[in-house]
Formats: sequence, C-alpha cells, structure tokens
Amino acid sequence: MPRLVRTQREMEGRFEDVWVLVDPDDDLETWPADADLALVGRPAVRQDGALRVTGDARYTGDIQLPGMLHAAVLRSPVAHGRVTRLDVGAARALPGVRAVIAPDTSVGFGGDPLLASETEYAGQPIAAVAGDTPEAAAAAVDALRLGIEALPHVVDPDEALREQRFTKEPSETVRGDVDAAFAAADVVVELEIETPAHLQTALEPHGAVAHWEGEELTAWVSTQGMFDARAELARRFSLPRESVRVITEFVGGGFGAKQGAGVEAILAAELARVTRRPVRLVNDRHAEQLDGGRRSWTRQTVKLGARVDGGLVAVESAAVISMGLGGWVFPVNQPALNLYAVEHARGMEFPLRTNLRAHNAFRAPGVTEGVTVFEQAVDELALALGIDPLELRRLNHVERDQQSGLPYSSKHLLACYDRAAELSGWAQRETLRGPQADGLLRGMGCATQIWWGGGGPPAHATIRLDASGHALVTTGIQDIGTGTLTTARIVAAEELGLPLDRVRVIGGDTRANVYAPVSGGSMTTPAVMPAVRSAAGKVRRTLLELASDVLEIAADDLAVRDGRIRSRDGGLDVPVTEVTEKLGHATIDGSGARGPNPDGFRVHTFGCQIAQVAVDAALGEVRVERVVAVHDVGRIVNPLGASSQAEGGVLQGVAYALSEELVIDPTTGVPVNASLDDYKLPTIADVPEIVIEFVNVPDPNLPNIGAKGLGEPPIVPTAAAVANAFAHATGRRCRALPMTRARVLEALRGAEGEGEGEASLAPTEALQ
Amino acid sequence: MSGYLRPAGLEEALTVLAEDGTVPLGGGTDLAGQVDRGIRASGLLVDLQAIGLGEIRESGGGVEIGATATLSRVAEEGLLASYVAVVEAASSSASPLLRNVGTLGGNLCQHTRCWYYRGPEWNCWLGGGDICYAQIGDHRKHGLEAGECISAHPSDLAPALAACGATVVVRSAAGERELALLDLYRRPTGDNRSLLALAAGELVTAVRLPAPPDASAYMRAGERQAFSFPLVSVAAARRGEELRLVAAGVANVPRELDPTDPLAGLPGHPQSAWKRDVLVALADRALAAVR
Amino acid sequence: MRIALHVNEETYELDLPPRRRLVDVLRDDLGLTGTKVGCAEGACGACAVLLDGRPVASCLLLAAAAEGHAVTTIEGLSRDGLTALQEAFVAEDALQCGYCTPGQIVSASALLAGTAHPTREEIRDAMAGNLCRCGAYPKIERAILLASGQEVA
Repeated sequence: MPRLVRTQREMEGRFEDVWVLVDPDDDLETWPADADLALVGRPAVRQDGALRVTGDARYTGDIQLPGMLHAAVLRSPVAHGRVTRLDVGAARALPGVRAVIAPDTSVGFGGDPLLASETEYAGQPIAAVAGDTPEAAAAAVDALRLGIEALPHVVDPDEALREQRFTKEPSETVRGDVDAAFAAADVVVELEIETPAHLQTALEPHGAVAHWEGEELTAWVSTQGMFDARAELARRFSLPRESVRVITEFVGGGFGAKQGAGVEAILAAELARVTRRPVRLVNDRHAEQLDGGRRSWTRQTVKLGARVDGGLVAVESAAVISMGLGGWVFPVNQPALNLYAVEHARGMEFPLRTNLRAHNAFRAPGVTEGVTVFEQAVDELALALGIDPLELRRLNHVERDQQSGLPYSSKHLLACYDRAAELSGWAQRETLRGPQADGLLRGMGCATQIWWGGGGPPAHATIRLDASGHALVTTGIQDIGTGTLTTARIVAAEELGLPLDRVRVIGGDTRANVYAPVSGGSMTTPAVMPAVRSAAGKVRRTLLELASDVLEIAADDLAVRDGRIRSRDGGLDVPVTEVTEKLGHATIDGSGARGPNPDGFRVHTFGCQIAQVAVDAALGEVRVERVVAVHDVGRIVNPLGASSQAEGGVLQGVAYALSEELVIDPTTGVPVNASLDDYKLPTIADVPEIVIEFVNVPDPNLPNIGAKGLGEPPIVPTAAAVANAFAHATGRRCRALPMTRARVLEALRGAEGEGEGEASLAPTEALQ
Repeated sequence: MSGYLRPAGLEEALTVLAEDGTVPLGGGTDLAGQVDRGIRASGLLVDLQAIGLGEIRESGGGVEIGATATLSRVAEEGLLASYVAVVEAASSSASPLLRNVGTLGGNLCQHTRCWYYRGPEWNCWLGGGDICYAQIGDHRKHGLEAGECISAHPSDLAPALAACGATVVVRSAAGERELALLDLYRRPTGDNRSLLALAAGELVTAVRLPAPPDASAYMRAGERQAFSFPLVSVAAARRGEELRLVAAGVANVPRELDPTDPLAGLPGHPQSAWKRDVLVALADRALAAVR
Repeated sequence: MRIALHVNEETYELDLPPRRRLVDVLRDDLGLTGTKVGCAEGACGACAVLLDGRPVASCLLLAAAAEGHAVTTIEGLSRDGLTALQEAFVAEDALQCGYCTPGQIVSASALLAGTAHPTREEIRDAMAGNLCRCGAYPKIERAILLASGQEVA
C-alpha cells in the first residue's frame, strides 16, 4: 500500500523538504558487492546507438511540422542599453513575416516579459519574429532597425567590487576560531588564483519547436529537464500541466546549460500561439555563446594553516564571483570546508553583479572552481612542509561531512589515492623533472575530487511485460548523452531476469507522466535506477506467481534469469515465453518509486586524478600527456558508459585548465569570443592518454543498487591536477587560468606583481 | 542584389567582376563568415570553381599554382614536395574540412580574424569606423607593430610562399600584372582600409614559385594542437647563403623579418608583447631547421 | 534560382534563394536532417558531408556551389545498413550525445576510403575538424582503428 512521507531531497548540495510517495513493495535489498549479477557491471552499448550513428536520431532542430514557421531573435548588441527605436511595423509588413513580439509585451499570460527594452547584457533578447522561411525571419530582424542607447556598464570584477555591486549580500560560513588557529599554526600559505568564465558550448544550441492544437501545447525542447519545462510552460500559459506535452528524445549535450523550458521554448510557444502555426526557434552559435549560460569567473584567495606534521589547523577561502545578473551562488567554498579534516574553517563569498547573462550550472558548478584553486593551495602547503602532496592529502583524510557532522554513506577516497598513484607512477615522479631528450619540462600533479551524487526522490518507472516476453520500461529520463536510458535498460533486464535485447526503455516524453528529475546534478542514476529496479522487482514477482499457475511449482521455488524460468532443484528450465504467451493481449505491469535517502548520512562521491604535463618553455605551451582518474561513485552499472562520461569530464577539465575562457571587451562590456572560432574547444589532436578506473564498491546505504551519480565528478579535479603538474614541472604557477601561452610565459618569467594595476579592495574589507 | 553566378571561364569572370557589387567566391570558407557577420556587403557572388584556375603545374623551373587550387591539393601535390615550408603551411592550416574547399587565392586574400573586426557588435577602424577597439581593449592575440590597425595576419601560406620567393599573378578585365607575394598586401590607410593591394575588379589568378630553395621550414604556435590560426608563425628558406624569414601573426600583413634581428620594428603592445618571446623561439627553430 | 542537386545518388530540382547554404537545403528542403548545424561557421564539423568523396563543411557551402558535384550525407552512407565503421562506433561507445556523430562518421569514412590502415597520428590529423564537446575522442580514435582492422592495445 503506498504512503506519502516527508523526506529531504538533495541536489548539488542544496536540500529541500519534499513529500514522496513510497511503497513498501518497492523495497529491495541493495545488491551486495559480491552479488552474482548477469548484466549489471558488464559493458553494454547504447540502446539507441544505431540511431545516432546513422543520423536517424531526431534532435529538436530536426523536427519539421507542416506549416512550420522559423523564428529569430533580436538581441542586445550592448552590455547595458535602452532601446530608442524599433520598427516593429516595418518588420511585420515584410513578405513572409507572420509575427513580431516587441519588448515589454506580455509573453504568454503572466510571468515577467522575456523581451526587454532596457537590456543589461550583450545578447539579451529584445524582440522575436517568426517567418515562413529562415531568410524571412532574418530579414524581419534586420527590418526592426534597432536603435539602442548604450548606458554605463560594469563587467570588470574589481570595478564591481569597488562599487559594492552584489547580486546578494556577501556571506560567510564559519566553524571554530579561524583567526586564532592561523595565529597558532606552524606554517601558513596563501594563494590567489583566478578561474575563467567557462561556456558549456553544447554542440546543439538551445532550441524548441512549439505546436498548439486547440488549448494543448506540444513542445520539443532541447532541455535537461522536460518536466521542469512542462511546469514552466504550463505556468506561463496558464494551462494545467496535462495540457502541455514536452518531448525531449535526443539532446545534443547540456552540461548544465539547458534547464527547464528556457527562453527559446517560451518564445516559440508564444509565437506559435499568436500565429496558430508551429514555430521552430533555435539559437545561432553567437547567441548560444552569449546567452546559453556559463560557469562564472572567480578570483579565490585561499589560506591554509598547518602543523609541521602536516595536519591542517585552519583554512580560509574567499571567493569573488562574477555572477552576471544573478543566479544561485554555487558552492565555491565547499572544498575548503569539506575536502579535508580541519577544525577551524571559513568560507566567504562575494557574488558580484555584472552586466553579463546570469550564470547557470556547468557540470559540478562551484565545486570545480573551488577545487581548482584549493587543491593548488594544498600543493603549496606540501611544498612548504616538505611533505609529498598525496601523503599530505592522506594525512588530512576525513570520514565524515564536517558541516553536518554526519558520516558519509560510503567513502573510498584513500583507495582512489593509492590506485591513482599506482597507475600514474607517482612514486617515480621526480624522474620526470630531470633533463629530457626533447627539451620539454615535465611534471606530475594530483588533486582530490569531491561532489554529491546521492540523488533522491521523486523518481518513478513503470514496466509492462507482454506475451512475447518483451518488457517496455517507461521512465521520465531525458538522455542528454549520459547513456542513462541504457543504464535503466541494464537494471531492468537484470531484475527482470531477461536478456538486454528483450528490454526497451523509453523516456523523453512527459505525456506518459512518469517522472524523473532533471538530467543534472548527477541525479539520474541514483534517483531513477532504484525506481526502475523496484518496478522490475514487482513484475518479476508477478511473473513468478503466474509461472506457478502455469508450471504448478511454488513461486518461491522459481527464479528467472537470462530469459529462462528455472526451478531451484534444477528440474525445470523453460523460456519465459512459456508463461507469458498465456497472457494474450494482457501485460504484467509494475510501477516503482524511488524511496527516501537513508537518514543520518551524507552521500558524496570522491576521487583522485593525477596529470602529467610537458611544457615547451620557449613557446609557453603546455601539453597534458596523461591523466589518471580514479573515482569512487558506488556501484558501476555500465562500465562502458561510465568510462565515456569520465573521459568527457576529464577533457572538459583539461580545456578549462588550458584553453577555454570567455573574454570580454573592457571598453564595451561585450564578449569578444562568443563564437566557436575564438572560443577554443579541444580537438581530437589535443587529447591526452586518459586512464579511467572506478573503485566500484556499492554504497551499502543507498537504495537499492548502491550506485551514485557520476556525470559531474570527473570534471572536478582535472584542472587542479594539471596546474599542480605544471608547478611540479616548472616551479611556477599561473595566477589565472586558462594557462595560455601568454600566462605561461609570464609565470616562467617569474614576474610577480605585474598587471595588478589599481589596488583592488581586499575581500575581507568589503565584508565589513 | 544578392545572386550567384558561376562563369565558365576566366575572361567571363573578369568581365563580371569589373562591375560594382560583385565579389569573387573561392571555397567560401572565409567569405561565408564575412557575409553572415555583415562585413562583406551583399552582392553578386561570382563562383570561380569553373574558370580553370585549379591546376598545379611546372613552370619556368618552378611551379605555378592556380588560385583556386584547394589547400588540400597544395598539401598533397607532389610537385610542391620540395617546398617544405609551403607543404607544412598548407597541411597545418585550418581543418581538413576547410582545406578541402578553401582555395589558395582565398587563403591569401582572407580578411583578418580580429575579434573586433569580425564581431557584429563593433564597427572598428579597419571596417570603416573610427576606433581600433583592439588597441584600447583586449589585444592579446593581435600584432606587434604600431599603427592604426593592430590586427594579426592569419594566413599560413603567405609567409611560407613569400619565404620561398613566390610571386602572385593578378588579372583584371584591363590586364595582368605580376608582383612579389608580399606586395599583395598593404597597410590600411584612412582613405583605403583594405589590407590587400588589389583594385576593384582585380583577381589573384596564380601563385608562381621559382625553383625550390635549398631548405625551408614552417614553424607555428597556435591555440590548440590542430585547427587554429597561427598566433605566431615563421617561415624560413635558404638559398645558398641567403636566408629569408617571414612571419604571420605579428603584423596586419605577412611580415618579413631580419634573420639577425627578428624583433626589429615589432615592439608589441601590452597584451600582445608575449608574442615577441615566441617569435624569437620560432625564428631560432626555423633557422636551425634550414641551416 | 533553380538548382539541380545530386545528393545520395538522387537528383533534386529545387527553387531556392541563391544564398541558401547546402546544409539548410539538405535539412529543410530535402528533409535529410542527419547532417547537423553546430555553429554555421565551419568551426565544428557537425555539418560535414562528402563532396565528390571529400569531407567538407556544408554550412559554408552555397547550395548553388554544390551543383554539378556529388553530395553524400550520413543518410547516403547508411543506406545499406550499418557500415563496419558505424558498428565500431556503437560497439566502442564512440559517441555520447551523438550530435557530432554524423559528421565524425562522414570524415572517418573518407579517411578509411583513402587510407586503409591509418595511424593514430593520421586519424588525429584527419579528424581535427570534427569537434566533440562530450569528449568521445578517445573512443572515436579507437573505433576508427578497430574498423580498419587494426589491433588496439
């Protein structure tokens, strides 16, 4: 019998109280570490891989509907401006133009206007048009003949700091007596590093196709959260949720940028509403880079105090963050407060309001920025103490979450250190620093990973098993490339006792109303898979009950595996279809729901990465030669998909360290490199050797699979490991990432204090 | 007027290009972007693929490369194998997709990659406006010379061909001229912002290389391991005792360097001065490779 | 203007704006949506198609300029079922979100058509114009090696 209970749900370190539907029939014992599993833990190819390699997979921009209009958006060319002229009439009168939405007009019913006549960042939408062809829409945008008066803007973080422009009040988190602890420390090191603004740059831009039928809205949306998109569209257009259908079958990457409906889906829906025709709106690349989202620039000042034996006594982290217009302040100080055992700790954040789009989540937001700097400070401390950097980390290992005091549900970080050291040849790293035949400087550096990844309710799944012995699993998953549909297939097939090819998982459509959370926050595996398993468990139990009807053996004496039903004494061995064929047109159905997370624990993921770099000092060039990544994310369901996720995270981390940054023109406040031409993603030629391993010990406290999320963990420590390797190779650090040639040459010159310009307000002063 | 024409021969193309509002189209890998960003006005695009300029042949002791030969063709052509700098420059330009359609003429005549010039949000001096935004703004990828426009020349082939002593054949409806490759470029002035010394209606039709140098090399520093414009690059060629050194990325045109003093006349700007160190290192390596 | 395009061994007579790009004609006019638009500036390779057997960026090419040439899209390459290369991509998980994948297949197919056993370096050179934001590069390289019949350590 289902019940409603209150529990806490965690996503990316944020906790909220929720009611969840639970059913004791969902409870299944977590598979122990030595469970004899047929499919879980074995590599499996993507269920829909064939569709993706043939071009048959339909992404949002591939959807074509009869009579569909093409939309275009006029965006602000200035960082802060007031529209003085907009020839809406002229644009609307052009042949083939069917609608123009002007700024400050209501889009949908209620909700703030999405189109602004006073814009506060370059790229901000001002007006939207729809035309019969893309050429008509582009002509309409030109015909608007935008006149805009540029107003003063602030994009420089130091200027924002001086003017005390914050998106919310600076805050601090403190435990213990930090100042006294620093005063008493044997050794204190301090490090200040800037991390870059980092663009998600999914290869498929944000976009939507919207289509009304009467009062029902169908929207194909390139989103990571189709249920959030549905809720947003329903609210915006004053519709019941059931009247909105969001379809998100294939998404060309998200990395955190594609939350909810997005401006694109709402504008498309509004244009479709006023024209009564389907409308497609897809960002061009320039718009995507300006308005798709970003990981914010930070400047972090980290101070560590320790005893001579290496024990940390105090840590302090002050983070200045260029937020843009707003957004949630991501936990940049988490690593300082939680990576290692330290009694006295202070984290301060200064969220600056600048004329950029509000930042949003980019794969492990906040923590990636924080680890990138904090782990460099830890290496500086190791140097000051004369202790091996990995050993220093081991010395300060902590078994519980220090903010809540709760133990971790599982933590195998020490095993990660050991295995990463083994795989990378850490013990011989000093030999890299000797003279090399190719004249390059080499070094090796490490970094620790921490992140969440416990998932939580609500998440549901339903399964129907038919007469042919095939199972259809319905989930609310939108698979953005993470392979989670395939993970669900493996889990369902395992619990059902069927081979993979008799199980099909569908997601990507809210119409079935089977909920899964956003594909973000490393949620999907820990949230959805237990629901899938629960649903499969019910179907299996029913199947065996029906089998006992047909085979006249007690259900308790039967088991199903590999598509066959066998009796415990081995006397009976028949295909599943021997039972299911009796169903005719009936199906065996089961629904599962994710239960609450265990009380009294914090669920985190951990890992260690070690990078080896080669530096061409004369050219200022850093090449990452090898990255070893060992992560503890609980049980691995699909090692093939898991290693792909890890490689992808590492590569994004390498690019964060070496080549990617959003550059903003100081004069106009407009980004100069909002294109793929100048915002340099790594190519296949930039790829180092990557070695991935997972500890693969199930978390015994996580229902009912013991698997945590792994989408974000792999990006967290890479840049820090690369920067630490650079420091090992050269004895220097770049004061800002990415480590471009200019910054590397500056670091190698050892030019201290260059480029500081005006003295900037020290963060601690700003707080008072 | 926004049409497309594909003439069947050179003379027909030149007649059309003599009209106002016509633009020659090679592979389109640069022109497409210019049109999209509003840098090149709409006009009649004159597709050069059928006018017979795609061949590479021996000529006068050296090699003549037709202007519409693709970069892939240049990189793979056996007749050019002895011009090591040229082959290396062609192979390291852009990406395979772009090299398969990008033409030699288009590569030499491509517009600068300066992000202010290319960006739709600025009307910079080079584009006909009043301000060089790079000099007052972010010029970390720009040139080292002083001047009105501090953009960086982006072509790999220009320095390599120049170092090997190439000339350029320019045709128009009115006639033909041949000039040293570096003379294809000019410093932009107040009344003429073009970086190319081409009159309206003129078309590069061929590049002529003399006999191969005794040795040549091309060294570049990009922003990633592949598919990047040269931030700094140096082509070196030696004929007997005579050395030639030509660089991209350090001036708004391909820049000849004094092998004994490569930094002469290249003081740098605050954010681009780092290129001086790299230029010296690349020049050293290029010279060492040809000695 | 009227343009005759030869795509996947079929001829199409079309009436198009002269400036329309090949990628848009393929996707919107011919319904061949396997070719993707990632940047429309030739920087990502998601729009790669074969032009007379050579991989090119269809976002930069005018459809009019493609007249008289043989265009092959991912659909054309996939007509007779999955090729060994496509099988290898699936088997090795050389894809994640899959958006860049058609372009990768196009470039890799051309590579293998010209070079039976490419080295890792040749693969990197040939595939450098096909960006993958998800980071499937290591497995893309592996899949190409395996599809060409070479062993991988």
